[in-house]
Amino acid sequence: MTCSDVQRALPEILEGAPDSAFATEFETHVKSCADCSDLVSDVRLITSDARQLAASEEPSPRVWLRIAAELRAEGLISDPAIRPEFAGTSAAPRPILVPDSPRRRWSAWWLAPVAAGLVAAGSYVVSHKPAPQVARQQAPATSGTSSAPATTPVAETPAVAAASVPAPAPQRMARKSASPTDVVGSAVRPAVEPAPSAEDQQFLSVVSTRAPSMRAAYENQLQAVNADIRETQAYVNRNPGDMDARQHLMDAYQQKALLYQMALDRIQ
Amino acid sequence: MASLQQARFDYTMVETLAATLVLATCLSSAVVAETKKEYRYTVGPNANISVDTQYGAISVKPGSDNEVVVSATLKSDDVEVDQQQNGNRIGIASHLLRGTDQPTGQVDYELLVPPDATINLRSSSGPLSVEHLRGDLTLEGADAVVNVRNVENGHVHVWTMRGPVTLTDVRNGHIEINSISGDVHLKSVTGTLVQATSSRGKIFYDGDFGSAGDYKFTTHSGDIEALVPADVSAGFRAHSLLGRVQHDFPLQPKHSRFSEEVGRSFVGTSGQAASEVVLRSFSGKIRLKQR
Repeated sequence: MTCSDVQRALPEILEGAPDSAFATEFETHVKSCADCSDLVSDVRLITSDARQLAASEEPSPRVWLRIAAELRAEGLISDPAIRPEFAGTSAAPRPILVPDSPRRRWSAWWLAPVAAGLVAAGSYVVSHKPAPQVARQQAPATSGTSSAPATTPVAETPAVAAASVPAPAPQRMARKSASPTDVVGSAVRPAVEPAPSAEDQQFLSVVSTRAPSMRAAYENQLQAVNADIRETQAYVNRNPGDMDARQHLMDAYQQKALLYQMALDRIQ
Repeated sequence: MASLQQARFDYTMVETLAATLVLATCLSSAVVAETKKEYRYTVGPNANISVDTQYGAISVKPGSDNEVVVSATLKSDDVEVDQQQNGNRIGIASHLLRGTDQPTGQVDYELLVPPDATINLRSSSGPLSVEHLRGDLTLEGADAVVNVRNVENGHVHVWTMRGPVTLTDVRNGHIEINSISGDVHLKSVTGTLVQATSSRGKIFYDGDFGSAGDYKFTTHSGDIEALVPADVSAGFRAHSLLGRVQHDFPLQPKHSRFSEEVGRSFVGTSGQAASEVVLRSFSGKIRLKQR
């Protein structure tokens, strides 16, 4: 079995290969090939993570169709011929990874679902309202001073909002000794840069391999979009009823997805 | 003493000659390594042309109605040009040989295309420039400086990471620009949809917002500035969550479901409000100025 055979068979194997001899041959090759081993572990990780997503966080079918269309247009996947074991069944064959060409490497295709996942995560964060906090914020309105609807942006200063919504422990500690202005500043821009996520590390690792000269630029931009997401998330946490802030959060996630997409386009 | 001086003189001469020789060798090898290639394709109306290069400039200008001329300048032998024509679709791509990086992997392209052609360009380093066309344009470049001039009636989609984007005299277009930290400059740009997003870059608009168009400019921390004539016909809505918002325009009040917050937002119309303009920022400043 060759690396190309592994790539071609991977979707079926992950779904449970119908032919056990074929699966054994597959596993034997994967054990002896570092590249294929990396690919299979990447795909298994993504698959298992994806299954944990609730249905409400799933992007619309249009998103998947678009990704599939783009991957097809890029020549990364193609519609397979029907294999004998599927003949006569209703099981539609899944698109298969196109075998590698000498100048195209394959192990970066996981960036596409990650980019889609980022958009999905953004959508989820934007649409998911923390009910108790909203209820607490709406309470004064129902007492007779305002008739503003629940979705109206709240004209609340960040400092007031910060006082009304529980913050993560580090922020609470910072507030004890800070002025209101400082509180806003510290909440908006955390002093400590969080460690990059596993996806981000993998993203940068792939960029380092394929386009070493671009690594610093992508890392810098990734830090920037992550900082924007954190900053906006902190604001949304303090102002959960502010729909404009939620839209900015969605925009920030989309910018991160754009970065992944550009890298995917670039490092093929 | 004189012989010692003569010896020193001779040594300096030899040194200079050697250095000159090395320099000349380097220069000549660089010149030899750079090659130019030209490709010509016959096409019909609405041809679709794609150019993809890791490093290098791509410039597109109008040529004859039924021919595409591609001039490629390869900076070294470590890069090749792959080209393919399938009917009305032409694909050009730089192909880096193993271990090649900038600048040896650079290929600069100059294209002459039918004015109605659809163009797709991609280069990490750029610059990318397109002028005097009326087909759809898609331009993508991480660090690429993007310039689009005198384009009309087409979709213009631009993606950059850090590269600044400038559109000048783009009429009746459907325009979407997205950059992470590049500035976006729009001068005399109108269309049914003009949308620009930059997380950290600035967005600057100088024009009249046309008529019957939707204009949406969004930043995270970048400033947004719009410079418009006194007789502009548009409805405006501007809001920055943490930044200042200001205008020096006699806007008419407008009924809106969005509440106005002094210094952070404004809503109003000018003239017949033929176009709708939405300016949004998380922490950047927003200014609407009269020209």
